[in-house]
Amino acid sequence: MGLVVTDVSKSFPSGHGIKPVLQNVTFESKDNEFVCVLGHSGCGKSTLLNMIAGFASPDDGFMTVNGEQINGPDQERGVVFQEHALFPWYTVLENIALGPTFQGKSKEESQQIAKKYLALVNLEDAANQYPSQLSGGMKQRVGIARALANEPKILLMDEPFGALDILTRETMRKELLNIWMHLRTMVVFVTHSIAEAVHLADRILVMKQGEIASNIEVHLDRPRDAKHPQFLSLVDELSSILIEEKART
Amino acid sequence: MTVGTNEKLSLKNSKTSPFLTTERKDSLSRMITIAGFFALWQIIGMINAHFEWFNPTFLPTPVDVLGAALHLHDQGVLFTHIWSSTWRLGVGFILGVVIAVVLAFLIAKVKFVQNALEPLINVIGPIPPFALLPIFIIWMGVGELSKLTLITYATAIPMIAYTVDGIRNVNPLLVRSALSLGANQWQVFKSVILPSALPPIFVGMRVTLAISFSAMVVAEMIGAFSGLGYLIIDSRNFFQMDNMFLAAALIGVLYSIFALILSFIEKRLFKWRQGTQMNDAISK
Ligand SMILES: Nc1ncnc2c1ncn2[C@@H]1O[C@H](COP(=O)(O)OP(=O)(O)O)[C@@H](O)[C@H]1O
Ligand SMILES: [Mg+2]
Repeated sequence: MGLVVTDVSKSFPSGHGIKPVLQNVTFESKDNEFVCVLGHSGCGKSTLLNMIAGFASPDDGFMTVNGEQINGPDQERGVVFQEHALFPWYTVLENIALGPTFQGKSKEESQQIAKKYLALVNLEDAANQYPSQLSGGMKQRVGIARALANEPKILLMDEPFGALDILTRETMRKELLNIWMHLRTMVVFVTHSIAEAVHLADRILVMKQGEIASNIEVHLDRPRDAKHPQFLSLVDELSSILIEEKART
Repeated sequence: MTVGTNEKLSLKNSKTSPFLTTERKDSLSRMITIAGFFALWQIIGMINAHFEWFNPTFLPTPVDVLGAALHLHDQGVLFTHIWSSTWRLGVGFILGVVIAVVLAFLIAKVKFVQNALEPLINVIGPIPPFALLPIFIIWMGVGELSKLTLITYATAIPMIAYTVDGIRNVNPLLVRSALSLGANQWQVFKSVILPSALPPIFVGMRVTLAISFSAMVVAEMIGAFSGLGYLIIDSRNFFQMDNMFLAAALIGVLYSIFALILSFIEKRLFKWRQGTQMNDAISK
């Protein structure tokens, strides 16, 4: 069943008229699939992800998860934000335990779950620190652990590594892949980095000006080698699609 | 509002650091300043008493003021006055803050309450609360009720603005984040809105404390029979300058104690803010 997005359109009021941001977006993704939404900034990636998260609703079209219409935010769809959005007044452990607590689990049980996911992202040492005391990469790991602690059906990630330096970014990408291989939760991952998408995705949705220009399945074995000819040819293919868009605008 | 600035200055260095030496030096120089101030006052008062440039009763020395305190203590009224002022301020201030916070949350959450209250506050709020005291007295008599009402009212009006502002400035990303974690309305309030509104509420409390104190003193100056404000008025009638100085000094001390309690609670509550404020920009 998985996630089904059918003919979704969305526009925002801008100046005098309205500005179409998404047009007839249609795709499906299976449970356990790692989906990357790839596109230039401003093409509507966040808008799409926010609608899947339930923060906004489409003007037209349908979005369903396992056959059920998306209707507002829900713990079955965990979100990792680029700006991490951790609660500054809670410690790392408390942040991660929050989801289970909201679900009505006892304090001890929530902490137990939080510790498990803290270990998953290798941050046991930071359990009692506050977010302001963490580096950017650590904050994102906490963000991932917090979203996973609810055992969501889908993990939504909006350029989660966009604010990190290149080295941290690469480490985080590898760690995310390890976690995903372990849990196999469906991930919808927004990025503007072609290499990141090719490293991570089972399916790449290339977005051009609010439309899905290309829906490509990737069958390379993981972990992927950036020097592998198939990797390189896919990168070439994607950049030509994206650059073509540039030429048109 | 000089008391307000004093308090801000002392807050600046309230951060505990492992380098105690600089902090010790700071507090030593502070103590020297204060001791110097009193010494100078004492000396000028004594010189004036000797040469009589002006009537010495106009400028009692610190020793005279201490004498006045002992005298009032012997009469058994010193602590009655201090206690009256303390509990009036404490009760009025806390009531004012609680009422303001509750109203502010209703204003921010319930459109109907907002439409009903906000215009009213905009019309009545700008009237200095002290102008209303005689009205309160006629309505409620000269007893405690009118005084508490004034202090509560003077506290609540500015506190509502601070709290509403705090609630409206909650980061929407954090609200989204909580909703995606499955929070219900009450959990969003408890885990996101309240904690992020608390710092501005405390800023409001620190600023408003000075207003509450003014309200307390004014209320005690008009139709009261105890309290430090009453002591000033009563002593004026008998030209007891030393008592008036004493009362003013005690009001200052009382304010400092309340401000200290506030900043102590703040420090305990906002541990998470360490390293996120301007004073943390450069550490030596
Ligand atoms: N709430 C909004 N109101 C008006 N315009 C918006 C809003 N959100 C997004 N947009 C516009 O929609 C376009 C796509 O935005 P976004 O989805 O954030 O792009 P991306 O995430 O791909 O960079 C942008 O041109 C942006 O200005
Ligand atoms: Mg975006």
